[in-house]
Amino acid sequence: MSQYRSVFKDETKLDINYVPYNLPHRETELRLLMEFFSFILQSPGKMAQRVMINGDVGTGKTALSQRFGANVTREASKRGISLRYIHVNCREYRGSLFLILQHAVSTFHPNFPKRGYSAEELLLTLMQILDEENAYIILTLDEFESLVDREGSEAVYKLTRLQELRQNKPQRLSLICILRNLKAIEQLDTSTRSTLQSNIISLGKYSKQQLADILTDRVSLAFKPLAVLEGVVNLIAELAFSESGNARFGIELLWRAGKYANAQDSDTVTPECARKAVSSIIPILRKSDLAFLSLHEKLLLLSIARIFKESQKACVSLAEAEQAYAVVCEEFNTSPNTHTQLWKYLRNLSTLGIIKAEVATGISRGRSTAIYLLGIPAQELEKELMDLLDKKQM
Amino acid sequence: MDIEDVFSSRLRMKILKILVHVSELNVSEIARRLNVNYVTTNKHLKVLEDEGILLHKMFGRIRLYRLNEHSLKAKALQNLIDTWEHANKQ
Repeated sequence: MSQYRSVFKDETKLDINYVPYNLPHRETELRLLMEFFSFILQSPGKMAQRVMINGDVGTGKTALSQRFGANVTREASKRGISLRYIHVNCREYRGSLFLILQHAVSTFHPNFPKRGYSAEELLLTLMQILDEENAYIILTLDEFESLVDREGSEAVYKLTRLQELRQNKPQRLSLICILRNLKAIEQLDTSTRSTLQSNIISLGKYSKQQLADILTDRVSLAFKPLAVLEGVVNLIAELAFSESGNARFGIELLWRAGKYANAQDSDTVTPECARKAVSSIIPILRKSDLAFLSLHEKLLLLSIARIFKESQKACVSLAEAEQAYAVVCEEFNTSPNTHTQLWKYLRNLSTLGIIKAEVATGISRGRSTAIYLLGIPAQELEKELMDLLDKKQM
Repeated sequence: MDIEDVFSSRLRMKILKILVHVSELNVSEIARRLNVNYVTTNKHLKVLEDEGILLHKMFGRIRLYRLNEHSLKAKALQNLIDTWEHANKQ
């Protein structure tokens, strides 16, 4: 029996729940969050904080908050402060304040009864527990929209105005609300909204280079040295960038690409593994899109597919594609079209989302056009095109 | 109360076993696990609390019982139950 080989050193580092120690390109936001909550370490109980974090899917909202939670509780523990960071995904609890608070209480009393009281009583219970244990919590409400949608202003008001019922008592509950779009809180009434809007951290979409940095970081944690071929990270960064800068999507692709490499019993993750990975996640190109291409668009695409299939490159230049296209034209007994015409074909193929073409430096001397094959494995694309071209010839 | 009075009640021994396993529980849940009514459960809990073996804490209307960590009797009972169950498994 052959020995099981794996490109992974530790694939758990690519798990959706893994919170990396370093958050590339979110260092400033992490420091800002630490700054907002510095009072909790310096004079706990004197104030409570409310922070909102917003940003699109895969912009690092959850990772940022969880890394902050781990850092701040470690620091509090060093100073003898009993601080707990509780991260709740509101959607997981169907946006119910009752279930969210029950989760918070269960971190102190795991067998606390599940029924027989209201959300208000539960909130008072939580405060009683905190008072008795002289503890503080930072409650993070991830997917905050879900709570707002279901419970409206009332629930948020209860959480933010809690201290008004606890005059002269230490302030023990701070909140972090994570949401995609700040528009979600527009449905709250003005007074509730005003309690939330003071500290907002907005996370922008990652750039392609930032995504590449994040992926490089994860590659070093999750894969064996040299297991991921040069160009794979950039290709996945490109794909993740086209999915609105979604780092989570990129990390998942990286994991899947590794799985495809293992399935092929390969020592390395190639760009083709990444393309197979993406075709397994997002709907691949429909055959009808290929069928409507002109003959020369098909021939150009076939030549591009062949280069990718044979070279394991992540991107090719237009010059290389042109040479391969000339060979393919010969194979199909037709004269090649001009450079300008090919450029137009590339633009069309790019618009259809089959390839991505961009002007780049560094592939060869001067400026050249870099061509990426996105959501379809080169081998599969070649087969589809050959089927279509053969039918046409018959 | 003498030791034989505590040990003579099957329900009290069951309550102790439950609390050794789950550390703390509310009255209704203990009653449900014993398959007896609330009043009976409450009566036995009170006996054990009066002996200093159990403690309770109130959270609004919820009463959570647990073994009294400062009670030597509770510690001895916990050891007895642990040892007993461990030996039974072997």
